[in-house]
Amino acid sequence: MRDEKPRRSGPGGGGNRSFSRRRKFCRFTAEGVKQIDYKDLATLKQYITETGKIVPSRITGTKAFYQRQLSSAIKRARYLALLPYTDQH
Amino acid sequence: MRHYEIVFLVHPDQSEQVPAMIERYRGMISAGGGTVHRLEDWGRRQLTFPISKVHKAHYVLLNVETDQKTLEELTGAFRFSDAVLRHLVVNMDEAVTEPSPMAKAAQEEKEGGPRVRRDDVGFGGDDDDMGVNA
Repeated sequence: MRDEKPRRSGPGGGGNRSFSRRRKFCRFTAEGVKQIDYKDLATLKQYITETGKIVPSRITGTKAFYQRQLSSAIKRARYLALLPYTDQH
Repeated sequence: MRHYEIVFLVHPDQSEQVPAMIERYRGMISAGGGTVHRLEDWGRRQLTFPISKVHKAHYVLLNVETDQKTLEELTGAFRFSDAVLRHLVVNMDEAVTEPSPMAKAAQEEKEGGPRVRRDDVGFGGDDDDMGVNA
């Protein structure tokens, strides 16, 4: 199951097939995070785009369990004006 | 009795009243038979977007164990206080006592210690460093 060779997961995407990509992985699973903290801005900032959107798990490879936590953590941080809703404020 | 985490934002002009406010809230909690497990004053921080035309606010974090009635009193106090811009209450499973990431960052800055490490996470697109070179 855990093959060493990096490969694209999922169909589609197109592009250059000879290109091999780094395998994406869920950082929270790897680190065994208990609960994603809405106050941990350094972590949360890695999962929002420049425009302030939440990066989808299909891009980041975050597991669904953590993506749900991540999304509510980011929304809490936004409410407290710790993170932006958009770049147009 | 339940565990709650409370964050509230105080208007920067009322910043000097924060210690008095904390004491008042602490008094309300202990009067209701609750306890404060963690109290952090993050100081005046830049807001990422203006709230009621102010760009900075004084943040306070409280981890408390209290009953519903006292919590209602507290949120009522937040609501009727003109100094409080915003507040957030989160239900917690247990008492949290270790310093939050915010307090840690402030501590490190004060000590002039190592800057917060920002290790890069590769998101799709740009990371072709394992490519077909050789």
